[in-house]
Amino acid sequence: MNRKDLIVGAVFGALAVGLGAAASGFPDPAGRAPGPAFFPYAVAVAMGLLSLGVLFGAVRSQNQEESSGDLKAVLSVCALTAVYLAMWGTGLFALRTAVFLALFLRLVGQSWRAGVSVSAALTAVAVLAFQIGLRVNLE
Amino acid sequence: MGAEILQGLAAVFQLEVLSFLAIGVVLGAMFGALPGLTATMGVAVLTPLTFWLAPESGLAMLLGVYAAAIPAGGIPAILINVPGTPASIATSWDGNALAKKGRAGLALSINAFMSALGQWTSLLFLAVAAFPLAAFALRFGPAEYFGLALFGISLMAGVSGRFVLKGLLAGTLGLALSVVGLDPMTAYPRLTFGVASFLDGISFVPVMIGLFGFAEVLVQVFEGRRGAQSADAKLGDSAPTAEQWKKMLPAAGAGAGVGTLVGAIPAAGGDIGSVIAWEQARRLSRDKDSFGKGSIEGLAAAASSSNAAIGGAMTTMLTLGIPGDAVSAILIGALMIHGIQPGPLLFENRQAFVFTLVFLLALAGLLTLLLGLFAAKPLARILRIPGPWLWAGITLFGTVGAYALNNSVVDVWAMFLAGVAGFWMRRADVPLGPLVLGLILGPMMEANLRRALILSRGDWLSVLGQPIPAFFIVAALLSLIWPLLRRGTAASH
Repeated sequence: MNRKDLIVGAVFGALAVGLGAAASGFPDPAGRAPGPAFFPYAVAVAMGLLSLGVLFGAVRSQNQEESSGDLKAVLSVCALTAVYLAMWGTGLFALRTAVFLALFLRLVGQSWRAGVSVSAALTAVAVLAFQIGLRVNLE
Repeated sequence: MGAEILQGLAAVFQLEVLSFLAIGVVLGAMFGALPGLTATMGVAVLTPLTFWLAPESGLAMLLGVYAAAIPAGGIPAILINVPGTPASIATSWDGNALAKKGRAGLALSINAFMSALGQWTSLLFLAVAAFPLAAFALRFGPAEYFGLALFGISLMAGVSGRFVLKGLLAGTLGLALSVVGLDPMTAYPRLTFGVASFLDGISFVPVMIGLFGFAEVLVQVFEGRRGAQSADAKLGDSAPTAEQWKKMLPAAGAGAGVGTLVGAIPAAGGDIGSVIAWEQARRLSRDKDSFGKGSIEGLAAAASSSNAAIGGAMTTMLTLGIPGDAVSAILIGALMIHGIQPGPLLFENRQAFVFTLVFLLALAGLLTLLLGLFAAKPLARILRIPGPWLWAGITLFGTVGAYALNNSVVDVWAMFLAGVAGFWMRRADVPLGPLVLGLILGPMMEANLRRALILSRGDWLSVLGQPIPAFFIVAALLSLIWPLLRRGTAASH
C-alpha cells in the first residue's frame, strides 16, 4: 500500500465531497441552460472519480520509501511565517520584518550575526522599494 | 501595419523602458543562474512591482527576467552540473561534460549564442504566425472557445509526467479554485464563505507566488541545501571556431524549430522541448556516441530549443489567451493587472503593443547574449550566495509583493496557504502545472460553455457538434487518453 498516494486520494476525495456539497446549495437554473451549480458539480464529480482512481492505485501498489528531510525546520518556518502574517497591519513593519527574518535565518542554520546583518539589509531594501519607492502602506 | 511596427519600436526605445528591461535581464540572470530559483519564481515575485509602472516598463522588466533566466540557467548546468532552471536539464548533459574537459568557456559561449539564436528564431515565428492565428481565432464564438479551453485543460495529462492521475487531480483543484467568486452568468456568489475579497475570485498572482516562490523555499528548507555552490572551474577557450559553428548550426536550427513548436503547446515548456531537441539531434548526428560526453551539437540543440520555447509560449498566450508555459500563465496575470486581455482582439485593437512585446523580447535576448558572453564569470560567482539568504529574500518579497497588489491581507494569506499546499503537493508528487492550467482556463471554459448553451437554447449537440469545437473535443480526448495508454503499455512491458 502506497501511503503517500493514499493520503493524496483521501485529501482530494474529501475536497470533492466538500465541493459537491457546496455546489448542491447553489440555485437551480431557470431555463434549460446550466446554472451556477453545473460547473462546480462537474468538477467535484471528476475530482471524486480521480481520487478513487488514486486510492485504488495506492492500495494496489507497494509503499515507496519517502525521501528524508528536515520537516521540523519546514514546520518551524511555516509557524514563524504564520505569526508574522498574523501581526500584519499592527504597525512597526521594519522592526517586525527584521525580527522575523533574523529568526527565519536562525531557524535555517545561519549564525545570529549573519541573520541580523542579512535581515537588516533585506528589510531596508523592502522599505526602500515598497514603502518609500512605491508608497505602499505596509504598516 | 508599418505604422504599428514603428509605434511598437518607438515604445521600446524610451529610457524608462530600456532601464527596466536591463534591470529585468540582470535579475533574470540571477534567478536563472541560482539553482532553486526559476524564471517562473522571478516573474511571479516581480509581477506585483509592475503594478506601479507603465505597461511597457512593467512588461519590459518581466520579459527581461523571462528571456535572461532560461539562458542563465545553463551557467550552473555547465559549471556544476546543477540546472539553474528546469529548461536547462538537457544543457547540463553535454555542457558539464565539456566543462570537465576544461572547456567551460566554450560551453558557456555556445550556451549564450544558441540561446539567443533560439529566442530570435521563435520570435520570428511569433511575428509571422501570430497575426494569421489571431485572425483565425477572431472567428471563434463561445462554442469554439469552450473547445479550445477544454483542449488546453486536457493537456494536464501530458504535462503530468509519470503522475497522470495525480496531475489530473491537481487540474481539478485548479478548476475548483477558479469557481470561487461571482458566477459569470448570474453573479451568484460561489464558495466565497462570506469573505468580500473572494467575490472577485481568488487573486491569481499571490497564488502563483505561493506555489512557485514560497513552496520552493519550503522544499529547499526541507532538503537542507544550506551551503553556497562552488563554481571555480577554469573557463579555458571560449569562442567557437568556424568549423564548430558549421557543425552546430543545423542541430541548433532544428532545436529552435522543435522548441518553438513544443513551447506553443499549452503548458509544455522549454524543459520538454530541450530534451526532445537533444534526442532528435543525437539521432540525426553522425557522431552519436559523443552525445552526453561533451557534444557541441547536443549542447547547441538543447540551448536553442529551451530558449525557443519562449516565443512559442508567447504566441499561444498572446493569440489565444491560454498559457504556453508557467511563466506565460503569470504573464497573463501581469497583462490583466494593466487592463490588457491577451487573445485575438489584442491583435485587432493593440497591434503596436504586440510589436512592442516582440521587440522587447528581441532586445532582452541581445542583452542576455552580451551578458552571457562578457559576464559569465561574475555571474558564476553569484552561485556562492548562501541559500538561506535567498530563501529569506524570496519569502519577504513574495509576502510584500502579494500584499502590495491590492493592499489586501487576504492575498498575503492566499500566498502563504498556496505555498504550504504547493510544498505538500511537491512532496506527494502531485504536479503543480495542471493546477495553474485549471485555474486559468476554468473560467474561460465554464463561461463559454454556458454562453454557447444559452445561445443554442440548451441544445448540447449543436454546441459540441460544430466542426471546430468537435475537433478540439476529439483532440482533448486523445490527449487525455494517450498518456494513460502509454503508461499502461509501459507497465505491461
